Amino acid sequence: MNALVEVDNLNLHFPIDGGFFKEKLTLRALTDVSFSVEEDETLAIVGESGSGKTTLGYAISGLLSPTSGRIKFGAGLGGHSQESPVQLVFQDPFSALDPRMMVGDIVAEPLRLQGVSRAERLQQADDVLEQVGLPAESARRYPHEFSGGQRQRIAIARALIAKPKLIVADEPLSALDVSIQSQILNLLNKIKRDRTISYLFISHDLGVVHHLADRVIVLYLGRIMEIASRQDLFATPSHPYTQALLESVPRIGRGRRKPGQALKGEIPTPLSPPPGCVFHTRCPRAQEDCRHHVPELLPAPGRPEQLSACHFKD
Amino acid sequence: MSAIDTELAGIPSAPRQTIWQLRRKRFLRNKPAVIALAILVVLAALCVLAYPYSLLMGLDPNETNLLMRFRPPSAEHWLGTDSLGRDVLLRLMYGGQVSIAVGVLGTLLTALIGVLIGVWAGFLGGKVDAFLMRLTDVVIALPMTPVLIVLGAVDLSKLGLSQALASSPGVVFLRIVIIIALVDWTTIARITRAATIEVRQREYVKAATVSGARHLYNVLVHVLPNITTPITVAATLSVGRIILFESTLSFLGFGIVPPTPSWGNMLTNAQELVISAPALAVYPGLLIFLTVISVNFVGDGIRIAFDPRSEK
Amino acid sequence: MLRYTFFRLVQAAFVLLVMTFLLFMLIGMMPGDPVENMLEGNPALTPELARQMRELYGVGVPLPVRYWHWLTAAFQGDFGFSSLYFRPVLEILGPALLQTLKLMIATIVLSIPLSLLLGAIAALRPGGWMDTVISFFAFASISLPNFWLSLILIIVFAVQLGWLPASGTPLAENPSLGLQIYHSILPVTVLTMFFVGPLLRYVRASMIETMSSDYIRTARAKGLSETTVIVKHALRNALIPMVTVLALGFGMLFSGALVVETIFGILGMGKMIFDAIRYVDFNLALIGLLLATIVTLVSNLLADLAYAWLDPRITLK
Repeated sequence: MNALVEVDNLNLHFPIDGGFFKEKLTLRALTDVSFSVEEDETLAIVGESGSGKTTLGYAISGLLSPTSGRIKFGAGLGGHSQESPVQLVFQDPFSALDPRMMVGDIVAEPLRLQGVSRAERLQQADDVLEQVGLPAESARRYPHEFSGGQRQRIAIARALIAKPKLIVADEPLSALDVSIQSQILNLLNKIKRDRTISYLFISHDLGVVHHLADRVIVLYLGRIMEIASRQDLFATPSHPYTQALLESVPRIGRGRRKPGQALKGEIPTPLSPPPGCVFHTRCPRAQEDCRHHVPELLPAPGRPEQLSACHFKD
Repeated sequence: MSAIDTELAGIPSAPRQTIWQLRRKRFLRNKPAVIALAILVVLAALCVLAYPYSLLMGLDPNETNLLMRFRPPSAEHWLGTDSLGRDVLLRLMYGGQVSIAVGVLGTLLTALIGVLIGVWAGFLGGKVDAFLMRLTDVVIALPMTPVLIVLGAVDLSKLGLSQALASSPGVVFLRIVIIIALVDWTTIARITRAATIEVRQREYVKAATVSGARHLYNVLVHVLPNITTPITVAATLSVGRIILFESTLSFLGFGIVPPTPSWGNMLTNAQELVISAPALAVYPGLLIFLTVISVNFVGDGIRIAFDPRSEK
Repeated sequence: MLRYTFFRLVQAAFVLLVMTFLLFMLIGMMPGDPVENMLEGNPALTPELARQMRELYGVGVPLPVRYWHWLTAAFQGDFGFSSLYFRPVLEILGPALLQTLKLMIATIVLSIPLSLLLGAIAALRPGGWMDTVISFFAFASISLPNFWLSLILIIVFAVQLGWLPASGTPLAENPSLGLQIYHSILPVTVLTMFFVGPLLRYVRASMIETMSSDYIRTARAKGLSETTVIVKHALRNALIPMVTVLALGFGMLFSGALVVETIFGILGMGKMIFDAIRYVDFNLALIGLLLATIVTLVSNLLADLAYAWLDPRITLK
């Protein structure tokens, strides 16, 4: 497999203006993040809110510039030219579509920005709308005439029209009704079958991730806790944080939780992340060492493909 | 495909009531606003009829006739004559044209400046925003009327205009419009900035940026069309204020200069005429009042009709 | 809070400095030069005297240079000489400012209870007939040209009825307080009419909001009388942010005072600025406008500080 995007030691910090006479604060959204997205794979990023998932998605799509580190685009991508190799699908299908534009123009916008003529791009928009399961006549309507699920289809159509190699989908299901979620999930799977495309699928819903992902990255306070294939991650989670996340998923017929496994407390503020291992404040296994030394992302014992950042990993 | 088919059933076959139909309905339900709008239409029609009226009656608004001073209303002069023997009604009509034109043009220019600054500050944010907002604070801190008077007193020939051009009616008119816009843009700038910041964060702007859109594209295609509502409301509400500014300036002698009539400068000398011809002091001010209060009621009606809290 | 105050003071001082420059440039662009104007009115002035006067007023020197001269002198407390009154401008300024402040304070003292009363009555039953009448009054207040209202009041009360004087300044050498008040009735009425509208709209809106809030419902549920609820709870709550509205209205009131003083012949700041500009008295116009700017700046500053004091979150921003 070829790497589509290589993220190398990415740091993304936001300076926070603390007022004229106050010291400047820094929000550490992402710290030392390295991974790659392979061609034709679905890479899921999971974590609680505030873990930096969305920031990571924005950085890869070029909306945010890294403070340090590199995002390298591989073969066939060649960086952010006007070809829009990366496209975004958002969580909220309501603010994702410009209410003053007709659906056809919304879907065709990436082509408009490439300079494609209006007739040509509207023709393509009709085709893509049909591919995502909407009638071509939708093109001449306004977004407010559509339901949430239909709008998400429109947003997906807009992402597809530019023939991207990578779609960053930022919680594309969480604002939808459960019955609609499965339809959109099926649509994403169908698109994946029809063309060579990679998804960076950002989610906090492990159920969905289990259904869709090839590989999974677990993010906590802007750092990668664990990277593993879906099978490894769900069968033999290595990092205590991953284990806690899996424990917290309600499943029927699973009995009571093992004591000491559930997450306690809240995620700390990224304005002052804890020293050492960022997870130590909530970790059931935390030792003195965890408070001082940042654990490296290293293979789990006996599973070279499964990387985990913990001093006491399984 | 069956799942998709059920989805399609949800697409409405005919467009629902558009937002504009809804707003019109809400505006029409607001009686004071509708009455005010009717009054404005009548007033505007009256002013437009100035030229036909002058032809019909064979009158000139600026021709003085000292033998005909302070005549009471008659068949030739429906509202009588003023201190220089000119027809009062005709001068009121022409004066109205000036006042309304200043109100409308002044509002357009005010909105133009306010929107440019507001969008610029709101879209770019950061240092540009901080600077422009401090500038706005400074202009707001100015005492309006005194500053307008100074601006009205500026000798345009010292700015390089020829004496004749500087005192021509067209330049005098434009100068009023410009100086009012120079001090009045702050409200619209603040409202535009707030609206821009809100729209800038919407995800459709991000989607366009990812596809390669530049700032100018986002501003023109996504931001401006989505902030027209607050701008329209703010602009309507500033029409009345601008008409009042113009009339005050003209009254004080720093606005529209005679012989060109304006509702404001028709009152300049009325101060000395309160004993001999009090009616001359009543008409122009009454028309200013009627126009401004109507504009304000219409503006308020538009504000309520556009209020997203009453939009469903 | 101290830091914030200090920061705002520095900011206001900077704004004032910028304003001196802008106003100086603008006033420098008024027509003619002051010596020319004096020569026209006084044939006794010899060319030699005219030359000396030109030097005295700095005519002919480029504007930015003149600004620098003015600024350095101003920092030593010398704001120049009035060509209109033949006196140092500072001597004219004091009494004029006092006159204007008297007018404005009388207006504010009348406007606050009036707007609270009307606003509260209107808010009792939003949409009721009392509300309709009061709201119409508020609209009229913001739509009335105040120079016209002055003329109408003069026509009715001074000319036709003869009840009140048309002039705002008593002729007597040392007028009694009663006489001063008698002469101020019309001007203060105009200013109050002009000022009460925006205030009352504000009170009404904030009362309606408070009346539907949870703690008012609680107060009612406790069985308190409607009067107690309105006066003790709703009105008091509406009062606090009114400080801000009042302070912001100060600049507006100053603008209104200019027109009223001009019509009623009151020698306040407004009329002084108006005359100085009309008769091209550079120094007087400049100091008058600066003082007007300071008044508005200070009231805006007080508004912000009052707001910050009442709402401590604002300093964190």
